[in-house]
Amino acid sequence: MKRLVAIFLAVLMVAAMMAACGGSNSGSNSGSGDSGAKASSITVNIWDSNQQKGIQEIADKWTETSGVKVNVEVVDWDNYWTLLEAGASGGTMPDVFWMHSNTAQMYMENDILLDLTDYIAKDSSVDMSKYYEGVKNLYTRSDGKIFAMPKDHDTIALLYNKAIFDKYGVDYPTDNWTWEDMYEAAKKITDGSNGDVYGTAMNTSNNQDGWYNLIYSYGGNVVGEDHKSTKIGSDESKAGMEMMRKLLTVGAPQSVVAETGTDSLFQSGKVGMITQGSWMINAFYTAENHADYYWSLLPYADVNGNGTCEKEERWSAYNGLGWAASAKVKDPESCYSLIAYFCSEEGQKLQAEKGVTMGGMTGVSEAFASAFEGMDVSPFIKAEEYSLYFRPYTRNTTVWEDALQQKGAFLDPWQNPEDSALMATACDNAQKIIEDAIANE
Amino acid sequence: MKEKAPKKKRTKAQKREAVWALCFIAPTIIGLIVLNFYPAFDTLWQSFCKTGDFGKGNVFIGFANYAKVFSSSEVWHSLWNTIKYALIEVPFGVVIALILAVFLNKKLKGTSLFRTIFFLPMVCAPAAVAMVWKWLYNQQFGLLNNIFGTNVAWISDPKIAWISIGIIGVWSVIGYNMVLFISGLQEIPGDYYEAAEIDGATGIRQFFHITVPLLSPTTFFIVQTRIIGALTIFDLMFMVMDKTNLALENTQSIVYLFYDYAFTQGNKGYGATIVIFLVIFIMIVTFILQRAEKKLVYHP
Repeated sequence: MKRLVAIFLAVLMVAAMMAACGGSNSGSNSGSGDSGAKASSITVNIWDSNQQKGIQEIADKWTETSGVKVNVEVVDWDNYWTLLEAGASGGTMPDVFWMHSNTAQMYMENDILLDLTDYIAKDSSVDMSKYYEGVKNLYTRSDGKIFAMPKDHDTIALLYNKAIFDKYGVDYPTDNWTWEDMYEAAKKITDGSNGDVYGTAMNTSNNQDGWYNLIYSYGGNVVGEDHKSTKIGSDESKAGMEMMRKLLTVGAPQSVVAETGTDSLFQSGKVGMITQGSWMINAFYTAENHADYYWSLLPYADVNGNGTCEKEERWSAYNGLGWAASAKVKDPESCYSLIAYFCSEEGQKLQAEKGVTMGGMTGVSEAFASAFEGMDVSPFIKAEEYSLYFRPYTRNTTVWEDALQQKGAFLDPWQNPEDSALMATACDNAQKIIEDAIANE
Repeated sequence: MKEKAPKKKRTKAQKREAVWALCFIAPTIIGLIVLNFYPAFDTLWQSFCKTGDFGKGNVFIGFANYAKVFSSSEVWHSLWNTIKYALIEVPFGVVIALILAVFLNKKLKGTSLFRTIFFLPMVCAPAAVAMVWKWLYNQQFGLLNNIFGTNVAWISDPKIAWISIGIIGVWSVIGYNMVLFISGLQEIPGDYYEAAEIDGATGIRQFFHITVPLLSPTTFFIVQTRIIGALTIFDLMFMVMDKTNLALENTQSIVYLFYDYAFTQGNKGYGATIVIFLVIFIMIVTFILQRAEKKLVYHP
């Protein structure tokens, strides 16, 4: 008897260990064979907890017709990519998940993602021309195969605190503001408060929602259309970064923004205005003093000096996530059906109405502007009347993107904004960093 | 180990016993092989490769990664940062813990309460500890600057950031060291102290001439494990220092550098090489310490 118990226990321990190592976490992976078996549930992974509720609600709508349950799980940004990569290298991946411009190319080239091309071709309700060009192109491989459908898009706007503008007697931002006007206003606030409140704040890590936009406004670029070149060291880019440097001289110092994010500084009333992406709206909408917060169009650069804003003088970055599925899912039909619903006109409109994000499809975002009662977020939609550029990316974006934020690149001028030579040198260094990174891809 | 196994064939009973023994340790063996040995050798192999995406397409490139590591000023700088951290954490962590242990080993009221308080940091998740300290140190809203009325950039000034990080390390490790010291102290027989008292030795003399030498095996154990612990430090820098922090270059540890290359930038091969480099360094340090053990530790 004793021996039987011992054998049982030993087997149990080994089995438990195997189970722990194998770790299956989704119902759809337990089906046998490659096709046929319909999944009872689908696991969806996302990284933004602000969107979890809305996404789950939309997914539940899909469940009503399909009968397949959907579990939306949130994994924070850093762990998301570590887990996804581990899953792709031989573990278990979630069934359906988000893709991002940082990594999409790498995942597509290695056939990690489910090829959606045939499903989309067979599905008469999908019209790929309705989606934003940059987002669509991002998730289409060079051989024309589609690996993710556009989920959303985001733009950038200027956020300001009316209470601070009132206190220091500064005029509110208007749609006709140039970056110079922003500088003057920021200077008034910083000087008026004796440095207690900063007119503006920007960190080297505020790229897509920050200094990238200055480079494009002044006619430069960070990564070219081909995603294989850069003009960040050009005179135009340098002019944009010189303007950035001026803003920094009246903004919060680098040591401050490195310890406290610009969004936290703004929310604690330490900063008068910051540039922000539309994915952050909810954070400010639910903040304590949100009644003082107002959005405005990003300033423009009056390059031709005629005093009005031309279409190509105001630039906002835009980026879009994609809905993708793992190539190894056992029930690709259901996964595609869920993705197609998320990206259908109905799903996209729901997403905008609920204030989750603006759509990946064009023309569905009107409802988004009114999703936040008492806060006017129309500048994000108005930004599209001017120029948009897709968030700069290459095959392995993180390598150069991180390097640009650190010493040897833009951290040097950020630390010492009074010295204009440093900023020009940083642009030259950045040119080399990006070129080297592209050469090593 | 007195009975040597006979060279003859084992009896049936012995064989059966051996099989059973194997069965019982099998879970541990399998666990070690799958979770420790295989990854360790895989890391060694990857350090000789230019690794591809998702563990596929590794190309053998010989010692190219090693040449890059040895010629990289970044790696040496990080190694020096790690050593600087160890130079704060180990001596202060040991001395303060020893003093506390001596006091808390006395039969006074409330010792168990204080023992618990000092041990608490050890029970907290390192990430939580780092977050709390990050806010204490914050230049704008931090408690430290508010209390002292100063405006010091504790973790952003490259000149002092490494000390600030070291202080967190000392604070976190004191409790653990202290508990080890207390158990060491309790093994010292009371007779020595009685005899010393009769001979008229003061408390301080007793401490230096009885406690310190008789405690040296424990001290040596703590110093050795803490040196290894300090050389592999990662979580503090990772949680406290932002990527855009000016002082990052002067505080990032070698494991942090490994993490950055292997997981953020996706260059597993180079990351693996950095880790092997650290392993070799720790092996050298441990070897030297083992040699020194005979001279440093008092064997009565």
